[in-house]
Amino acid sequence: MDTFALPSAKPTPGRHFLSGLGLVALAASALVGGNAFAWRDQLMGSVTPAARPAAVSRGAEGPAAVPAPTEPAETVLSSQPWWQGVAVLEGVGPASSEPFTVADGAIQWRVSATCEGGSVTVRSPSGDEPLIQGTCGATDVGYGTDPGPMALQVEADGAWQVRVEQQVDVPLVEAPTPAMTAPDTVVAATGDFYRIDQAETGSVTVYRLADGSHALRLDDFYVTPNIDLEIRLSPLEAPGTTEAFLADPSVEVAPLDVTAGSMNFAVPPEVDPSEYRSVVIWCPLIDSAYAAASLVAAA
Amino acid sequence: MAAPAVLAPSPRGQTEIVLRGQRIPVVLPSRSDPRLRLSAVILTLHLLGQTVLGFKVSIAQILVSIGVGALLELAVTYRRQHQLVWPASGILTGSGVAFILRASGTDNGDWWSLNGIGFFVVAVVLSLLSKYLIRPGGRHLFNPSNAGLVWALLVIGPSQVFPQYLWWGPNDLGVAAAYAVILLGGIWILPKVRMAPMALSFLATFGLLIGILAASGQEFVAIWHDGPVAGLSYWTTIAASPEVLVFVFFMISDPQTAPRHPLGRVIYGATTAAVAAALISFQPTEFGIKLAILSSLIVVCALVPVIEHVSRGLARRGPEPGDGEPGVVAAAPLVPPGLARRVTTALGRPAVAAAVIVAVAAPVNTAVLAGNDQVMLIERGLTGEANAQ
Repeated sequence: MDTFALPSAKPTPGRHFLSGLGLVALAASALVGGNAFAWRDQLMGSVTPAARPAAVSRGAEGPAAVPAPTEPAETVLSSQPWWQGVAVLEGVGPASSEPFTVADGAIQWRVSATCEGGSVTVRSPSGDEPLIQGTCGATDVGYGTDPGPMALQVEADGAWQVRVEQQVDVPLVEAPTPAMTAPDTVVAATGDFYRIDQAETGSVTVYRLADGSHALRLDDFYVTPNIDLEIRLSPLEAPGTTEAFLADPSVEVAPLDVTAGSMNFAVPPEVDPSEYRSVVIWCPLIDSAYAAASLVAAA
Repeated sequence: MAAPAVLAPSPRGQTEIVLRGQRIPVVLPSRSDPRLRLSAVILTLHLLGQTVLGFKVSIAQILVSIGVGALLELAVTYRRQHQLVWPASGILTGSGVAFILRASGTDNGDWWSLNGIGFFVVAVVLSLLSKYLIRPGGRHLFNPSNAGLVWALLVIGPSQVFPQYLWWGPNDLGVAAAYAVILLGGIWILPKVRMAPMALSFLATFGLLIGILAASGQEFVAIWHDGPVAGLSYWTTIAASPEVLVFVFFMISDPQTAPRHPLGRVIYGATTAAVAAALISFQPTEFGIKLAILSSLIVVCALVPVIEHVSRGLARRGPEPGDGEPGVVAAAPLVPPGLARRVTTALGRPAVAAAVIVAVAAPVNTAVLAGNDQVMLIERGLTGEANAQ
């Protein structure tokens, strides 16, 4: 017997209809199972966010700020939230600032102000309360959450400057700095990241720049997000555990505020990378070595 | 008020239950039923999984899966036969589903967690639907729990569910005990159902093909491993996985969905291994590899009528005793006459159409997983606290 029903059942018009309905349901579930038209993600959810364009610089000015890639890369990865510069606004006395735009995907934004003397008040167009209200020289910071284009209302006795930053969690994909691609610059060492305590991916390149200083670049980098991470240089060739890493003194290169993307960092002048054999991502908050890359000297 | 049920022997000596004056025969499990042995092995592995292997499945999820499988089979059997038959297959189906399916967010030790219980119920229901509704030729075509698991894993997806890991832990006593249970269980069950040659055929073919993939530089990522699994680890993790042994010894060895001819069973084992290796060959994640293995059985179950026919044809063509040359073709040709017409006619039947949809969609959707960014991110642990595994 060959029916799309219990074997003992006799075919009837109703059963034929149910058979057809069952076939349609089966075919539809097959399409969902293949995630056709992203149906499965829409029905069952996705643990990854939709792809978003990565930031191309630490300022929000875009590709003009640095020699940057033509288009920001699309990515589903998220970084530890970091502060990206939006605008530096200047004026004298009471004035409306130049317009600026906080990105739609920004988590929040903040303003800080400096002025020549007296007091300063900064208001956003949507807020009743001033973002900043104080004397010049104070370190007040005002926060907002509404994205989009806006201009601030500033009241001050003299010249003033307002810095606007937005907090984002997209990766930062910077182009190499001009110094890294200068003719006399050489690649001193390279390495691929491996896991110690947390997930990781990517590689590191150490440059000896034409002026004798050093710079470090992370490419296609990701590490489990956390605040206050640090890039450190270790004399160990391949530290495998946090305990092993702590056994020898290391030196900080730079704070790692962005935990995903491709980024450039200046090596402090007092640090000579050739004295070290690995790069370690360190979390001082919980005393954990997240990931490391053994440095291989360039030929 | 309903009359109380009474369990009593019938005049013919069969156990019956008397309900509202109606005698309902009760068929209890037979000690010679290999499904009892299989249940004992799987439940022992469940016990090890809960206690020493760290399986991310709760006792409640296991019990609900078994209960749903048992109740559904009990109801269907009663409707068809007006008997209360011990639901050995339903219990096995529920147990098998809970053995492999994992709901994101369940940890070992969450013993009474009902997290994602709907997914387990769906998988068991799908398993039994495949058994009772897709019956070309009056016999279910697909291994029920395998079909339900593949469909559930694909349709529900990697954000909510995942299969049991191929790697069960470091080589300690717990894993050794699991290997012992699996191997002794295989020795206990496979000869009884005449599936030992099939299992050896699968293991030999699979081991060889996975070895070739490993030697050719194939690798995969898994949430439990730092960096890609490659080289010898690729081979040992896949080919010698206790999960694969369970698949071979206790899933594809189901005589109800395997060929009946001895040669057909050998071909069936080797073909399943070859299809599995082919599907694995482009999977970069453990999730994809596990689904490739499970999907291979769906493909080959759909081919069982063909394997059966070919194996019987080959057996008839075998060499005469004492003759070094192949024997004269005596009977049925390998390709039966009028095959195209019969296939066209069969495709018009709902059961056959359903079987074709399942047999095509399972491997195709499994192959599509190879390009799924979400699975890769999950397996690499790059989705942070929201990681599904």
